[in-house]
Amino acid sequence: MKLTIERAALLRALGHVQSVVERRNTIPILSNVMLKAEKGKLSLAATDMDIEIVERVPAQVSRDGATTAPAHTLYDIVRKLREGAQIELDAGSDRGSMTLRSGRSTFTLQCLPPEDYPHLAGGELPHTFQLTASELKQLIDRTRFAISTEETRYYLNGIYFHATRSNEMPVLRAVATDGHRLARVEMMCPEGAAGMPGVIVPRKTVGELRKLIDENEGEIGLALSETKIRFAFGEATLTSKLIDGTFPDYDRVIPTGNDKILEVDCKTFAEAVDRVATISTEKSRAVKLSLDKNTLVLSATSPENGTATEELEVRYNAAPMEIGFNSRYLLDIAEQIEGEGVQFAMSDAASPTVVRDTADPSALYVLMPMRV
Amino acid sequence: MSIRLLPPTLVNRIAAGEVIERPAAAVKELVENALDAGASRIDVVLENGGQTRIAVVDDGCGMSSEELLLAVERHCTSKLPDDDLLRIRHLGFRGEALPSIGAVSRLEITSRPRGSEAAWRLRVEGGEKGALAPAAHPPGTRVEVRDLFYATPARLKFLKTPRTERDAAVDAVQRLAMAWPQIAFSVTADEGRALLKLAPASDRRTRLAAILGRDFADNAVEIAAEREGARLSGLAGLPTLARATAKDQYLFVNGRPVRDKLLLGAVRGAYQDLLAGDRHAMVALFLELPAEEVDVNVHPAKAEVRFRDSQMVRGLIVGALRHALAAAGHRASTTVAATALHAFRAPPSMGMLALQPRPSARELAEAQALYAPPPAAAEPAPAAAEEPEPAELYPLGLARAQLHDTYILAETRNGFVLVDQHAAHERLVYERMKAALAANGVARQALLLPEVVELDEKAAALVAGRAEELAQLGLVLEPFGPGAVVVREVPALLGDKVEVAALVRDLADELAELGEAFALKERLEEVCGTLACHGSVRAGRKLSVPEMNALLRQMEATPHSGQCNHGRPTYVELRREDIERLFGRR
Repeated sequence: MKLTIERAALLRALGHVQSVVERRNTIPILSNVMLKAEKGKLSLAATDMDIEIVERVPAQVSRDGATTAPAHTLYDIVRKLREGAQIELDAGSDRGSMTLRSGRSTFTLQCLPPEDYPHLAGGELPHTFQLTASELKQLIDRTRFAISTEETRYYLNGIYFHATRSNEMPVLRAVATDGHRLARVEMMCPEGAAGMPGVIVPRKTVGELRKLIDENEGEIGLALSETKIRFAFGEATLTSKLIDGTFPDYDRVIPTGNDKILEVDCKTFAEAVDRVATISTEKSRAVKLSLDKNTLVLSATSPENGTATEELEVRYNAAPMEIGFNSRYLLDIAEQIEGEGVQFAMSDAASPTVVRDTADPSALYVLMPMRV
Repeated sequence: MSIRLLPPTLVNRIAAGEVIERPAAAVKELVENALDAGASRIDVVLENGGQTRIAVVDDGCGMSSEELLLAVERHCTSKLPDDDLLRIRHLGFRGEALPSIGAVSRLEITSRPRGSEAAWRLRVEGGEKGALAPAAHPPGTRVEVRDLFYATPARLKFLKTPRTERDAAVDAVQRLAMAWPQIAFSVTADEGRALLKLAPASDRRTRLAAILGRDFADNAVEIAAEREGARLSGLAGLPTLARATAKDQYLFVNGRPVRDKLLLGAVRGAYQDLLAGDRHAMVALFLELPAEEVDVNVHPAKAEVRFRDSQMVRGLIVGALRHALAAAGHRASTTVAATALHAFRAPPSMGMLALQPRPSARELAEAQALYAPPPAAAEPAPAAAEEPEPAELYPLGLARAQLHDTYILAETRNGFVLVDQHAAHERLVYERMKAALAANGVARQALLLPEVVELDEKAAALVAGRAEELAQLGLVLEPFGPGAVVVREVPALLGDKVEVAALVRDLADELAELGEAFALKERLEEVCGTLACHGSVRAGRKLSVPEMNALLRQMEATPHSGQCNHGRPTYVELRREDIERLFGRR
């Protein structure tokens, strides 16, 4: 394999694939990125056995071939080379090493044979459909904060994507929960998605996916089976295993009869919560909401620091009530609301509260109160 | 095969299997008999770890020839005068020890009742009673056991090395000796070497010091508490005296050494958050309660007992220990100082120093300039310039300097203390948090997806039975059919990474084992501990003299400030005598 490539193009592609590679591996080849040159393109692939990213970049290929080189080292070298530099990669007949030349720098990297590189791709992915980058971004961004990090309930360590019907309309839904709060976002079901099985996309995949979305406009092709999902962006492809588990029946925990409705300007509310929570030194940062006709008093107490209260003008017409929340959870949700107003539908101080964007019905959040 | 009644010798051997499992058990039974006989001195001789010969000689009330014949019969005892198992005032009561020993060894008892002129001797070999013979013996009883377990070769095979068996026997005597300070004990090995020699002691502290060492007696707080007719006394070691195993926890119920789970659990509960999880306190506790409040007839070797009101006993122990330890306040054990003293070394010989060239006058002047204090104006308030407080007023003295930006050196009335500023402040912050937690209750985060935890039926019932208590600590759960509980709320302090199922399982195990749920409290305290660690003054931070003094004053006012959250000392104290000793002035 011999080729010449522009630094920026190689750096960009390496940047995508190297983040999948774990820093420490028990299988040596998993630390490597697979490089394959053919037909005027260099394809780079990296995997951790759960996720695989393949990206192709144009290059001046003078000899086809393939090898695998240490991903993080290669990335660091390319990163430190001068901007606009031309890079020559040469893996000669001696396949144990690859030489990288750029200007006056020469590096020789230890390589492992490409035949040993594990491939995740393969297997039938019967369900295919298209989403725009911004649609997928919405689905992910509004739910990922609620993904659980606790490992015993592994089936909560990801976003649950599934097709269902809402108000008689077919929808594609993304749901995530950590047992304390839940986020549910839906959109019109794209063509071809209606028959898809419900799948749980793992947290790490979500993170990698999110980085790729940022750099790609336009359509993303999704293909999935019950065990794997693939996202195709122009020249890059991300394939991931899915979490093998059953997502809980989340519909059961979304209350429908909450009749105490509070509407408040989202930004004002979030700022007030943030201010009031400053006083509490505890890790749990509890904030109490006291509601009366058209007024909301936010308060927090700390045995060490004292107390804080802030009064807000809101729309509220139900019976007076008090309810406590973890302020971090409130802020997390407020951050997801893009419109001006946020609506809280409550029942009592011990039951789940439903939070919505007043302007946008597609997203819904459920939050459990804190008992102070 | 038809069912038949077993011959009495075999019955006795079976019983012996339970009561006399090793030489130490025989020694314990015989010494207990001597104690019950009202002896004032008891001598034990062990040959070959007790395997070849055990002799126990006392100066107690002795036995007449008729009593002697009865004593080796099964279920014959003088210790249940009114046939009431609910009122057991002696150490023994079942009448099993002597016949059991007699069944598996060559037993020889010589006894002379007090006030009688004649002594009699009786031999029993492998359960076969011999004839009474007149003998010469001072008032009291001498029991000799030769070739223990010769009649049960299987048991003999399972004995450990003579040395191990001997240590176990000495340990058994030591335990009894702790409970009976006014009685003299001795244990002698085959070659006449004294393994234990205890003179009659006037009080318990002296006896405990003789057995457990001066260290323990010096670094333990006196326990004395009474509740509903139960009296607890003894000594509890300071947390800084902790050990790696629970071996040095000596517990006695009505003078009877026990290893009871309830009591051990109570001790652990009392020391909780003063010790790291793998450290164990040293205690010697004596519980006295009316005979009818306790059932000692539950374990063949009487190592376990049952209390009528176990919660009261638990409360008494935890309460008394906590109270005493809190009163000990900032005391750290002197063993810490002793270790520190050993670390000091005399400087290398003076000859070496003399060989070095003397600094020239110029060099000296330069050095002096370097070390000279800055002009007075640059340092507005040196400590001495403030109100001249006498160091005597404070137990932890007045801060004189900070060493390596980590340790505070304070001068006390008769010595100095060295305080680890981070460890000390960490404990102060932690104690403050704990107080806040106790005052305001634990905030609970309700769960959107209640978590069902599968347990076995008994464990589930046990956990659900303590639901109210757990709710106070922030864990709300309910029974969920047989063999499961559903958790609805968790302590908010634990964050969103709490592994509920593992926590509940730990709680269930502890409730079954120790009768109390430590795991939850421990986790809360662990979180507090981490927060305290982050929220406290680190090593490497410069402190001014007023800051250091403020820290010392807070330490004096805060309970448990003598050790950090992991049981390490927060300060060491060197007394003036110690310093003088270091320099050979004493």
